Amino acid sequence: MESPEQVFNKIVKDYSERLYWHVRRMVGSHQDADDLLQDIFLKIWTALPSFRGEAQLYTWVWRIATNETLNWLRKEKVRAMLRFASADELAAQKVEADPYFNGTDAEREVAKAIARLPEKQRQVFIMRWWDELSYEEISAITGTSVGALKASYHIAQEKVKLNLSDSQVSK
Amino acid sequence: MTKRNPISVPEGYFQNLEQRLQQIPAQTAAPSRVHRFAPYLAYAASLAVLAVIGNFILGKTAVQEDTGWDYVSYLAQSLDPDGLVELKEAEELSEDDIRNYLLASNISVEQINMTLYEEDY
Repeated sequence: MESPEQVFNKIVKDYSERLYWHVRRMVGSHQDADDLLQDIFLKIWTALPSFRGEAQLYTWVWRIATNETLNWLRKEKVRAMLRFASADELAAQKVEADPYFNGTDAEREVAKAIARLPEKQRQVFIMRWWDELSYEEISAITGTSVGALKASYHIAQEKVKLNLSDSQVSK
Repeated sequence: MTKRNPISVPEGYFQNLEQRLQQIPAQTAAPSRVHRFAPYLAYAASLAVLAVIGNFILGKTAVQEDTGWDYVSYLAQSLDPDGLVELKEAEELSEDDIRNYLLASNISVEQINMTLYEEDY
């Protein structure tokens, strides 16, 4: 039987890179993603004894990561609000200032348009579009019905297009 | 919309990340079932603190007849977001107190917005 450390190390090996990309796209900067990933894996380690195998390990790990990310974004939103700033704009500014962004101007605009989505829509959009998870997988992770996820993805897609056309108009 | 990953990471980042993450078990106490009860213990401790404060106030303000005024409930309500505006106005809470309280709470952002800036609505 594997020790908790062995199970944890296997989770790190199997999931750290994929979760990094998910978190990075959600929070918009490398530094924030790195910090948040530490918190997520600390949470996974402390919650490991409560994992009973009722859910798949894959679903359980992703659920912790997505919940922690939403919680982090919520705190960012409160911090921004208490400074009378817009969290959506701050997220877009992070994309703009990201030194590890090496795409074209058009790709930067798409990333900023995604960063301006409300966090839950952003989460569904990123999980489907970038992480290429199926609706069934997203449903198991988030506890949201497949129908609601499809609707959320569709609305997010329309908002991204709208955000993109708005940014073109304002130029 | 076309899809190509336009973001990158510092060189050797993922190898370094894996090593750093694998140090977490050694840096923290071994996970135990106690962790699962930690939130409940914190909740129980908060209630105990409220009870002690309430008891203290009741002792200080004891009156001859029972007014039906429940100070413990009053304090609990004061810690509720709906009481934040009054506490803020009475300067019993600093901006930092409120910020920390809100960050640690599970209150929705919309509710916080309406509570703190209700005059704007």
